[in-house]
Amino acid sequence: MRGELTLIELKRVSKSYNNCAQPAVANLSLQVNRGEFVFLVGPSGAGKSTLIKLVFREQTPSSGQITFEGRDLSRLKQKELLRHRRRIGMVFQDYRLLKQKTVYENVAFALEVIGRPAKEIRRKVPAALAEVGLTGKEKAFPAELSGGEQQRVGIARAIVKDPLIVLADEPTGNLDRNNALQLMELFETINRSGTTVIIATHAWDLVDRMKKRVVAMENGCLIRDEQRGSYGNEHVST
Amino acid sequence: MLIRNWLHYIREAFSSVYRNGWMSFASIGVVAVTLFILGSFILLNINVEYIAEDVKQQVEIVAFVEESLAADEVDLLRVSLIRMEKVEEVRFVSREDALERLKEEFGPLVEGFEGRERNPLRDSFEIRAIIPEDIPALAKEVAELPGIARVDYGRGVVEQLFSITGVVRLIGIAFMIGLALTAMFLIANTIKLTVNARAKEIMIMKYVGATEWFVRWPFLIEGVLLGFFGALLPTVLLMLVYSEAVAWTSLNLHFLPLVSPGMVIMELAQLLLVLGTVIGGIGSLVSMRRFLKV
Repeated sequence: MRGELTLIELKRVSKSYNNCAQPAVANLSLQVNRGEFVFLVGPSGAGKSTLIKLVFREQTPSSGQITFEGRDLSRLKQKELLRHRRRIGMVFQDYRLLKQKTVYENVAFALEVIGRPAKEIRRKVPAALAEVGLTGKEKAFPAELSGGEQQRVGIARAIVKDPLIVLADEPTGNLDRNNALQLMELFETINRSGTTVIIATHAWDLVDRMKKRVVAMENGCLIRDEQRGSYGNEHVST
Repeated sequence: MLIRNWLHYIREAFSSVYRNGWMSFASIGVVAVTLFILGSFILLNINVEYIAEDVKQQVEIVAFVEESLAADEVDLLRVSLIRMEKVEEVRFVSREDALERLKEEFGPLVEGFEGRERNPLRDSFEIRAIIPEDIPALAKEVAELPGIARVDYGRGVVEQLFSITGVVRLIGIAFMIGLALTAMFLIANTIKLTVNARAKEIMIMKYVGATEWFVRWPFLIEGVLLGFFGALLPTVLLMLVYSEAVAWTSLNLHFLPLVSPGMVIMELAQLLLVLGTVIGGIGSLVSMRRFLKV
């Protein structure tokens, strides 16, 4: 039962980049269950982004093991790697929207790229846009939207393919507090429908407010892991 | 799903060609210029070979007959010549015919040599070989036949001509390969720029789980389009220019035998279009390699 519950497991994972003596992630063990909502906090350079890249398998660990649904990520073949990534919705600080495509096209793109049928695309894209509250903005281009709205497009693109997990790296980093708060509530709604959510963030006030699991990192190490935690003292150093 | 994907690839490729207007224009221009030079060179090469072949065909052996030979002996000699393996054609030129020819060429200079007693010329055979390259060897064999006084075939000149056409062919092939590689390199660089400009889009495709070929196809088609359109221009131009050139030469330099346009132009057009397309495709694949590392 416990095995089925576990989505991601990191066992003594380290990651060093070749040109750097100090590892970005050092001897980190962590377990995330299905349906969990996890904040990844810590100062810049703590290793949060690297951790997200490791889970997405954009990077492979220098040592240790990461399993996703019990499968060793370092051993994925090309096809399995694609399937793995298709089950992850990524959200970025800089939104990463295609500026020459409309809101609708940007979201549909995520399904087109993985070869979903047109009928499914016509059904799912409006649903995803409705979920993030962008109904009516389908034909707008990213440049015509506010930062908060652009990030909503990014989130719609992440969830339109019904991912097992949403990974967000500083999703509110470019937004004001009000917009950030609304986005966090959106992530909570997504989580409530069963999708696992991991958010790397600096927004300590939001973390404190949400009362979710908090994993704190510093210098690549895990220094605190609390259910219903708070940002803690780390924000003093940021 | 397949057809839809292809529509997507083709639409992406065309819109990219359009979006990168100046870059596309430059690529097409580069391909056009390169293939124009290449095409001109191919035509030049074909014609040099053609002329060389023509000259080769005209090379023949002249075998002079001993004066003492009787008419029936000459006939026997003729039969044994025709029976030789490498011989294509044997023509008998009597001393009277030979004198007539000289008169035609030099006119009054050769007056006064008429008549059996005063004619200084000999009967001869003009022999053509099946394969022009065999002429030196054949000449030797002919010289050894009884009744042949002397054999002439432009010794030295013939050997040189043959070795020159060989060298010209080699240089031509090397030159053509060089030009094709240059065109490929230029297209690769151009597409690299368009890929660079779309690095973000490629990264996003990667993040949403696109296969490598989903990313690759639009760029591949774009390269193929650039190559094809680049080839179209020089193809049409060469067709027109070459037809004109052949028409002009046949009027003004009629001794220069050129390959008639009908015989080469379709093949050349096919070759250039295929080459442009392939060069464009390979160029774009080469320039994308770096971006597809996942």
